[in-house]
Parts: sequence; C-alpha cells; structure tokens
Amino acid sequence: MKEVIAIIRMNMINKTKEALLREGFPALSANKVLGRGKKKVDFSFIENMLSGDEMSTVNEFTSPVIAEALTEGQRLIPKRMLSIVARDDEIKTIVDVIISVNQQGKPGDGKIFVMPVLDCVRVRTGETGELAL
Amino acid sequence: MLMIRAIIRPEKVGIVLSELSDGGFPAVTKMDVMGRGKQRGVKVGDVIYDEIPKEMLMIVVNDEDKDDAIKIIMKNAKTGQKAAFGDGKIFVSPVDEVYTISSGSNEL
Repeated sequence: MKEVIAIIRMNMINKTKEALLREGFPALSANKVLGRGKKKVDFSFIENMLSGDEMSTVNEFTSPVIAEALTEGQRLIPKRMLSIVARDDEIKTIVDVIISVNQQGKPGDGKIFVMPVLDCVRVRTGETGELAL
Repeated sequence: MLMIRAIIRPEKVGIVLSELSDGGFPAVTKMDVMGRGKQRGVKVGDVIYDEIPKEMLMIVVNDEDKDDAIKIIMKNAKTGQKAAFGDGKIFVSPVDEVYTISSGSNEL
C-alpha cells in the first residue's frame, strides 16, 4: 500500500479529479496549502501592479488582495495538495494520470511524492489492510 | 528520500522558512493545522484549549540532507534559550518516489 501526495496548481484540481475518476480512482483527500519550490519566483510584476504601474494591463482582473498575499510574508504560492492511498500496482497509473493532466512544461506544475503506508483501517467496519482501501 | 514534517508555532514560520532557504532548502510546503501535544493542550483558568493552531512544514530531502534540515528547523523554531512546550515536533518518513510534473523527471 502506498500514498501518493501530489502538489498541483490551484486551477487544475477539477481536471485532475475528473481524470482520476475516469481511471477508477474516485477516493482522494484534498487540501489547500502554500508552498514554494526550488525555482525563485519573480514577484516583481505583481509588485508593479500593486504600485499602480501604468505598464501593467493585468490590473483589472487581479485582485489586490491576492497580489498582496503573494508578495508579503514568505512569498509562498497557493497550491492544492492531493493525497491518494492505493495498492502498490495502481501507483504507476495514478502518477501517470496526474502527470499527463497537470504537465504544462513550466516550473510550478507541481511535485508528486510516493510514500509507503503500513496499514489502513475502515472506521465503519473495522476492516484493515488492503480490504479497507 | 525522506519527508520531513515539522509542526511549529505559527509565529516561527517566517524565520524558519527564510533560514531554510538560506540553508539550501528552498522547496517547502506549508499548511495550517490544529493540534495538541502531550501536555493535553493549554489550560487558561478553567478553560482547556486542546486545539492549538500550528503550522506544518513539509520538506522532502535526500537522505544525506536530513540532519541539516532538521538542525535548521530545531534551531529556529525554539522559543528563547530554554525552549518551551509547544515549540513543535518533527516527523521523518520515507519517500519511495518523487516526480516533477513539469518535466516528468523522477528526481528531487
């Protein structure tokens, strides 16, 4: 049994959920997280928007609240984190589905971690192991 | 590869994150969590608060970098010289595989 933890873009969650469902993996937990990756993010254009730079035309549809949240503090970017626990032989399919849906070829597409899970219990019946998945 | 999950005080997140990136660990995921520890929460007068807000930092590192990352977190998440209950916990668990979605590579 293994757990797939995928950190993906906020707006890709619905597509990813649909694709996983199509492949037969309806069960997942999702969480909103903040994070940063290896690559430095260029926040200068957001700062320009905040300072009311005439050059930027994206001003209309970018909320100043979001821009501020992005530039202040630790400069973490909002992401979605999915967690799926599945049998060992299903892991490859899940990883492939997530990669194929989310891959735009740009930094920030996300990361996938695969971790071992020792046991699993279904609260309703008390079943353990792969039966409870 | 190992996943380090550190549960720390929200007010320490800033310093820990900046020290981590200076120490060569730029990639971090952060989430808000609530929890209690062995002290069964905080008692103020007659009221017990057993869901204390904390922040969880999630870092995946190569095996040999584990000690460095933990040292940085330990050093900066402490309150004061003596440290106090509620400064947090660090959990380390194994990670079998890592994939970068943008390139499809399976390296950290």
